[in-house]
Parts: sequence; C-alpha cells; structure tokens
Amino acid sequence: MDISEAAERISQKITSHGHPADKASIESKLTRLVNEFGVPPAEAERTVLNELAREFSITTFQAAGGPGDQKTLGQVQNGEWVTVECKVVALTSAPSPSIAQAGILADNSGAMRFVVWARANAPALAAGKWYRFESAVVDQYKGMLSLKVHSGTTVTEIPHEGALKPAITPIRDLSPGVVCIRGKVVQEWEATHDRILQSGMIADETGGIRFVMWKEEGRERLSPGGVFTIFYATADEFNSRLSLTLNPATIVPEEGDIPVSTGNASFQGAFVHLAPGSGLIRRCPVEGCNRVLSRQNYCPVHEIQPQYHYDLRIKGWLDNGIETREILVQRGETERLVEMNLDQARELAENNPLGMDEVFMKFREALLGRYLACQGRVIENRMLVSACEILHYQPEQLADLLNRAGGSL
Amino acid sequence: MTGGGAAGRKEGIFEREPARRVFAVELKESRIHFKEGQDEKSPTYVLLPTGERCNRVFIAGTLTEKRRQGEQNMFYRARVVDPTGTFFVMAGSYQPEAMQQVARLEPPTFVAVVGKPNVYQAPDGAALISIRCESITQIDKDIRDQWVLDTAKATLDRIDTAGQTPDGERAKREYNIDPALFRKVAYEALTQLKI
Repeated sequence: MDISEAAERISQKITSHGHPADKASIESKLTRLVNEFGVPPAEAERTVLNELAREFSITTFQAAGGPGDQKTLGQVQNGEWVTVECKVVALTSAPSPSIAQAGILADNSGAMRFVVWARANAPALAAGKWYRFESAVVDQYKGMLSLKVHSGTTVTEIPHEGALKPAITPIRDLSPGVVCIRGKVVQEWEATHDRILQSGMIADETGGIRFVMWKEEGRERLSPGGVFTIFYATADEFNSRLSLTLNPATIVPEEGDIPVSTGNASFQGAFVHLAPGSGLIRRCPVEGCNRVLSRQNYCPVHEIQPQYHYDLRIKGWLDNGIETREILVQRGETERLVEMNLDQARELAENNPLGMDEVFMKFREALLGRYLACQGRVIENRMLVSACEILHYQPEQLADLLNRAGGSL
Repeated sequence: MTGGGAAGRKEGIFEREPARRVFAVELKESRIHFKEGQDEKSPTYVLLPTGERCNRVFIAGTLTEKRRQGEQNMFYRARVVDPTGTFFVMAGSYQPEAMQQVARLEPPTFVAVVGKPNVYQAPDGAALISIRCESITQIDKDIRDQWVLDTAKATLDRIDTAGQTPDGERAKREYNIDPALFRKVAYEALTQLKI
C-alpha cells in the first residue's frame, strides 16, 4: 500500500466530517509506524485514523484496509477485503449484543452468511433488498465463509433489475456454507433437544443429509414425505459430517415426488460381537434427551436421574468374512430377534442377582453365531437397522456349491 | 481389504478385523504368522494356505471335550470338531467372559466360536495352532450347517482369487500345497450335509 494514498484516504475521511486534516503529519505518522515499528500498512492506516477520530470525537469514522476489489460472492476467499453487490435473502436473530444484524447474502454466483457489527453504525438492512458493501471483510469459521460488515464498510442500497436465480446443489456435492437444495423429507427423528422443532433426513437422488429446524416464531414442521426446494440453508460440519440448518432458509413446497437415495443398505453376516450397552438399558427421562444412563443412573447432560425409563436394544457387529458392519437395533426389531419383550426383560433383571447383566447374557446366547440379514441406513460404517431377520439353512445353496467344488475334481 | 493394513484404514474410523471362515484342516496347516506395522497394537495375522491373511476366525462345530487347566492362571482347553478335523480352542483369564461361557457348556453340543488364531512352536519343532476364544455360544445344527456352506464358499472363493493377490502369491511360495486339496476338503464337507 502506498503511504501517501493511505494518508490521502485518511485526510478525506477526516475532512468529510468537517475537521481539518494535516496530510503531512498523517503521512509521517504512517511512515513511522510502518518503517520504524514494522506495523502492517493496513493496521497502521487504521491506527492513525482511530487516533484522529478520537481526537475529533468522530464516532462514525470509516476505517481502512482499502475498498478491496469488486467481486461476486462466488469469487471471494477467506481473509479478503472485498466490495460486493448482493441481495439480503434472509435476516436471522443476532446471537450477541455486539452484533447488529446477521443473515444471508446472495448474488447469482452464490450465497454466504453475513454479520453487521453493532459498532459498524451501518444502516439497517432490509430482507429482499440489494446493497453494495464496500470494504467488507471475508472470514471463515468451520469451513464456512462469512462477510463481516464493520465500521470501515460503506453500505449503500442499490436498485436491481431481474430476479435472482439460485443454483440448486445435488446433496452429494454439498460443502459447508450457504446452500440451495431440492429434496424430500424421508425421515423424521425424535427431537434430542427441547429447542428443536424438527430434525430428520432430507434426500434427493444423489444422497441424503440430516437437517434440523430450531424452534422459532413462524417456522412450521416440514411434512414427512413432502418435496421441498430449500433456498439458502446453512450446511455446517460437525465430526466431519454435514448437517443442514433450515432456520434462515426460504422453503418452498413442491408438487409431486422425486426419486431418492437415502443410503439404505443391506448386509448379511454372522453376529460376532455383542457390545456393551446392549440388552436392557435405562434412558434419561428429560423430554427430548433420551440418552442412555450409566449404571449409577447418570446422564452425561442431566446428571442423576432416578426416574429413568427402560428400553431394549442391540449394539454389535455383523461379519461376512470379508467385511464387518457395526449395527444398532432399536427395541421393536430387538424384541423379535431375541424373542423377549421389554416387560420380560425387566422381570428377568428384577428377579435375578445379576440384574441387567443377566439380560445382556441372554442376548449374547440368543444372538452370537447367528447369521442375520439386516437392512437400514448406513452412517460411517454403522448401520441403523430398520429390519432384520435370522437366516436359515438353504439346501439349494448346497447343490450349487457341490457343483462348484466338484466341478474340477 | 486384504493387504490393507494400517495404511489402508480411513482415519478416525475404527475398522474391525473380519472373522475368516476356515475349515479345521486348512487352519491346522497354517504356520506362517506375521505382524503388519511396527506398533505394539498392530494386528497380527496368520497366513492361510489358500492365500488370505487372517486375524480372527469364526467357526462352528461340535464341542467334544473341555478341560480345565492350571491353578493360579486357570484356563480352559476345548476341542471343536467340524466335518474336516479339529480346532483347538483356548479361553484364559484374559478372556473372562469366554471362560465363563465355556464353563457353562456341557459337551457334546454345537457351538459357534469367534476368536484369534495363534501359532505356537511345539518342543519337537512342529507348528501348533490354537484359537484364543473371544466368545463361544451354544447353537443348533441349522446354524452349524449354514456355517459349512459359508465356509465351503469362502474356501472356494479364496482358491479362485489366490492367483491375483499378493497374499495368494505368498501362500503359494511358503506352503507348497496344491489348492486342489482344499477344494476336495470343501467338497467332502458339503457331502455330509443333507440336500
């Protein structure tokens, strides 16, 4: 950055507030900071401007950093100072008093989150309008880009012709950021938190993604089985798994049906290991929690819960000799597989000195070594089993194998 | 999967070693054992003569005999018989659950065993192989018969693909056993099942 240019910018900003500016003195201050103290030029510009602003009691001063190149949202990168023209497509509630406004911006090349700092003294942005943001900063959090509107950013409303055409991304190709998708609500899950309005899975023909909608005024649940176009939801990554937050999004219900791939898979193999946490378990009674309690009835979130409720499940491994698959079976299929229902399991635990361990051992005797065929949704090598059956000896396989083995004797 | 080892694993995702299906006759012939990687916890493998590495086995057969041995370090030795021969199964104090399971079983009965094969050197220099039991449960004949089908198929699959894998090449070099022998073993095991 040229120091005299920076000095020019500073003196213009000061004089625009009706105060005198000594350009030579500004320039020498900048030179001193940059050359003697090794301060980065952008930081030096900010320091000098702040100093003068304090001197003249200017509160709405314009900071520095240069306006940055004008770019489209699809082009900007982390750490850049940019000038962009885009539309405010959603406003979300500000999570902190230091934030005046937050929401989502879009142009024809893409979309991203934005934050207007309370100290920026920017005009209030209105959803649906176009603005020019001069000298805003792009940063990144959890792989997601975000535009920061600070005190040095000039915000002007601009007229705009024509409609915005958001690009729909196939679910398989999603990455963290603000995204538009079209998909079908294929599953609805039990809420794990009392602030969740709805959670589940939405899928298109390329794959599925979990979604969550937090309780908020004006938000309604999506009907399971319905197809929706979702504009400007945020996809974020947690434990290397993407999840879609629908709260900022515009959701448009669609007619008809679409083919979906939900990662449904089947696997056959021998049951080779019953993992701890199988059998009769106690769950946290706090609404929306449902976590498994430890032996001391301790919930990792809600601490000691003596008013637990019981459940049955199977956690374990299937193995076909080549590959292994971890499986998780819920109560319904579990009762069928082990031929023991929840009441019988409770009775067994209550009338036995080993308690719940006795149920675990009964499960082990009933399951280990059995050949099972399971169907369900696979997430990272673990299958959440929706249907499962015990396989039996099939004599027709014998004839085939005899032919194969005897064929070249 | 084969030849994968530690390097082939996806980071952060635990992959359980599969339990190979193998007849007693073939396991008895196995004597090559090796370790993949330098870590103390790297898995150890036994190389099957049909050309596949094996860290774990799944077997089904008849428990014909069990014997308690040792005083302070008590353990069980058990014999499990399939249509081709005998597996030697051990459950010691490091596998307390398996030991309790063995204790409750009364031979003769059909059992399914999951365990890890270990190769020992006998005093006369011969290689002995036994299975360190992870679990042993009572099963019925239906499951034993499914296992014979499963194991015959796995054996034939290994014989058919051995020519195309590094482990297959290695087995051919180290063992010098004609694969046709194991094809015959599979055939004879199958003939004992009812159509």
